[in-house]
Amino acid sequence: MSMINREVAWRVFAREFNDSDLMLEGEEERAPSYLVTPLGAKINRIYLVGVLTECENIGTDEEPMWRARVTDPTGTFFVSAGQYQPGVATTLANMEPPLFVAVVGKASTYQPDEETFLTSIRAENIKEVDEEQRDLWILEAARSLKDRLEIGIEASKMDDISVEELVNLGFEEKLAEGFKKASEHYGDLSFEKYERILEDSLRYVLPEYESQSLEDIENEGEVQDERDEELEELIIEIVSDIEEREGLENGVEYERVKNEVMNEGDITQDKFEEVVNDLRSDGRLYEPVLGNLKVIG
Amino acid sequence: MQEKEKFAPHVEDINRALNGKLSEEQIEEELRTYTERYGVPLGSAKRSIVKKYEGDPQELYVSTEKAIEDIDGDEQGLNLKCRIVSINEKEIEVDDEPKQIWYGILGDETGTIPFTLWEEPSIDLEKGDTVKIENSYANTWNEKPQINIGSKATIKEIESEEVPDFDREPQKLDLKDIRENMRNLDVTARVTSIEKKIVNGKDDEEKELYSGILADESGKAQFSAWHDFEIEQNDVVRIKGGYVRSWRGIPQYSFDDSAEVEFLDDDKFPPSEELDDVSVYTISDLAKRGGAVDAIVDAVMIDIKSGSGLIFRCPECRRVIQKGACRVHGKVDGEPDLRVKGILDDGTGALTVIVNRDLTEEVLGYDLEKAMEAAKDAMNQEVIRDEVEEKLIAQPLRVKGNITSDDYGLMLIADEVDYKSIDVEEEARKMLDEVRV
Repeated sequence: MSMINREVAWRVFAREFNDSDLMLEGEEERAPSYLVTPLGAKINRIYLVGVLTECENIGTDEEPMWRARVTDPTGTFFVSAGQYQPGVATTLANMEPPLFVAVVGKASTYQPDEETFLTSIRAENIKEVDEEQRDLWILEAARSLKDRLEIGIEASKMDDISVEELVNLGFEEKLAEGFKKASEHYGDLSFEKYERILEDSLRYVLPEYESQSLEDIENEGEVQDERDEELEELIIEIVSDIEEREGLENGVEYERVKNEVMNEGDITQDKFEEVVNDLRSDGRLYEPVLGNLKVIG
Repeated sequence: MQEKEKFAPHVEDINRALNGKLSEEQIEEELRTYTERYGVPLGSAKRSIVKKYEGDPQELYVSTEKAIEDIDGDEQGLNLKCRIVSINEKEIEVDDEPKQIWYGILGDETGTIPFTLWEEPSIDLEKGDTVKIENSYANTWNEKPQINIGSKATIKEIESEEVPDFDREPQKLDLKDIRENMRNLDVTARVTSIEKKIVNGKDDEEKELYSGILADESGKAQFSAWHDFEIEQNDVVRIKGGYVRSWRGIPQYSFDDSAEVEFLDDDKFPPSEELDDVSVYTISDLAKRGGAVDAIVDAVMIDIKSGSGLIFRCPECRRVIQKGACRVHGKVDGEPDLRVKGILDDGTGALTVIVNRDLTEEVLGYDLEKAMEAAKDAMNQEVIRDEVEEKLIAQPLRVKGNITSDDYGLMLIADEVDYKSIDVEEEARKMLDEVRV
C-alpha cells in the first residue's frame, strides 16, 4: 500500500535542535527533508511548548513575515511564519509576550556560508497554552532525549555501528538508523552534555526548582562551556557600530560580522560561531532577516 | 539437466496449443529468445508465444513449478512438489448426485495452502506423503488462494527428499502482531463478540459468515469465520490454521473449515473486562499494522483542521458543505452538526482523528443548539472551532476507537475521548532516578 503517513512531530529541546547542522534534502520533488540532530532525531516536523519571549512582524501588513523566539529550559527556538501561514501570522499579531505557546512547524535551516548553519522553525500552527502543557512537553522531550541518549551510548561502544544489533538490543529501528546517520556526520559526541541537559530539564519541572531562573539552572548545570565575555562584547560592539554608522534596520550580514571580528585578532571561525550562538540564545543578538545579525535593545 | 530436455515438454506443450502452426525448432528458438535473451519467466514466455501466434494460452498444460508462497490464485497448468499436511474426505452433491471429494492442506518449505481434489486419485494419498502435482489450477476462495486438482491433473508420489522438511506447525501469534497476508497462524483468544451474517459470494451464492472480535492480553482483532464452529460469545478458543486479510487497513483474523478450533477452559484466560483495557498502541505500531479495532491511543492533539467545530452538512449526501453549497448537490439547506477533525501525535507517529457530535458536545460542554446560538451571536461559525482548539490543543488525550488506513494515512474514528491526567512531577522524578543510575 502506498500510504503517505503524516510526518511525526518530534519533541526535541532547543539545545539539541540548534546544535544540528546536517540537513538531508529530499531527493525527489516534494520529498520531505530532514534536519538530523547530533543524537539522530530526523526532524521534518517539530512540536514544542515554551515561552514566547518576542515576536515581531518584519514584513508588511500585506506580506507579513513574523519572527518569534520561543524558549525552553535549554535554549531558544527561532520561529518564523510568513504569508503562507496566514493563521499563524494572525495569531502572532494578537499575542503579547511573555506567553506559554504550543508550536507545530517544519524544521528549516539557513546557511549564510559554508561553515555556518542556522536552524529555525517554519510554524504551521501556534496556540496559547498554559504552564501545565509546557511541563508536560518538557517531560515528553526529556523522554525522547533519553531514548536517543541510550541508543547513542550503546552505539558508541561498537566499533562499527550496526543498526541490526541495536534493534536486537531492543532499540527502535528508526532511532538506531538516525543515530548511525548522525554519527557519520557529527563523529564522537559528548554525551555528558546531553545527559546534563536531560537532568536539568527534568529538575526544571520539580517544585523545589521553581524559584530558580533559567540562567541559574544553566550555569549550575555546566551546560554551557566557559563564556568568552570579552569576545561577546567585541561582537556586540562591532554589530552595533556598523548598524549605527550605516543606519541598517535589518541588521548586518553574518559574513561581514565574521570577517570584521576575525580581523580583530586570533579568533577561529568555530569560536566565533559558538559565541554568536550564545549571544543568540541569551537574546542579545537576533536575526531579523535570514543571515543578518542585529543587536537587541 | 540438458538444455534441450529442459525445454522439451514446454515446446511440446506450445506445439499442441498452437496446433502445429510453428515447427518445434521455431518454438524452441522463440522460447530461448524470450527466456534467455529477455529474461522473461518461462510461464509468461509460453503464454506470450501462444498469443503471438494466435493460439489460446488456456490450452497450455505444462507449467513451471511454483513455490506455494508464490501462488496468487489465478494460475492455470500449475505444477508443484509438496507434502500433504492434511487430507480429509467429504461427500458433496453435484447435479443431485453424491460425489466424493478430498480436501486438506498442502505444504512446502515456503508455506501451506488448502487444496481440493475433485476426482479419485490414482494412488492412495495419506498425510505426510510427498507428491508431485501437475496441471492443477489455483483460484481464490474467501479471498485466499487454493489449489484445485481436477480431471486434467496428475498426482505422483515422489521421494520425500525432494521437498525439504518444513515447519508445518502454525505460527503462534499475539493479536497485536497480526499483519496482512500472514498465513497458517495459531491464535488463542477470548471471543468478546460474535454475530452471524449472510453474505453474497460469487454467483450470488449466499454464505454464512461468523464475525466478531477476539481479544488476548496483547490486543484485539476482528475475525471472520467462514464455517460454523459453534463459537459463542465469551468462549476461549485456540484457532489453528487461520490467515489474515485486511479491510480498510484493519487486519482481520480469518479462518474456514480447514482450520482447527479448540475450546479451552474459561478460567485459564483473563476475563473480558480485563482484556478490555489493554489495547494501547503507539501510532508507529498502528502504521506498521495498518489499523486496529477497538484500540486506545495516548497522544497529544497538535492541530485542529478546518471543518471542525460547527459545520453544515448536505441533507442528501452528508458531505460537509462550504458557503451553503455542496460539492455534488449545489445550493442546499445545510443541516448543522458538530465534529472535530484533528491531528493526534504521540512522538512516534501522527494520525487524523474524527470526533463525532456527541463527543464534541462533551468536549465543548454544551450542545449543538447552544453552539448555533454562540455562532449567531458572533456572526461567525469559526468561534466554535476556536473553542475546540482551546479545549484540545496541546492536551494529552486518551482516545479509543477503530483505526483504518488508506492512501492518506491513518484515521481514528473516536468512540471515547478523555483527557489523560499525567503527574508530571512524579514522572520526572522517576525518570531522574533512572538517569542517575
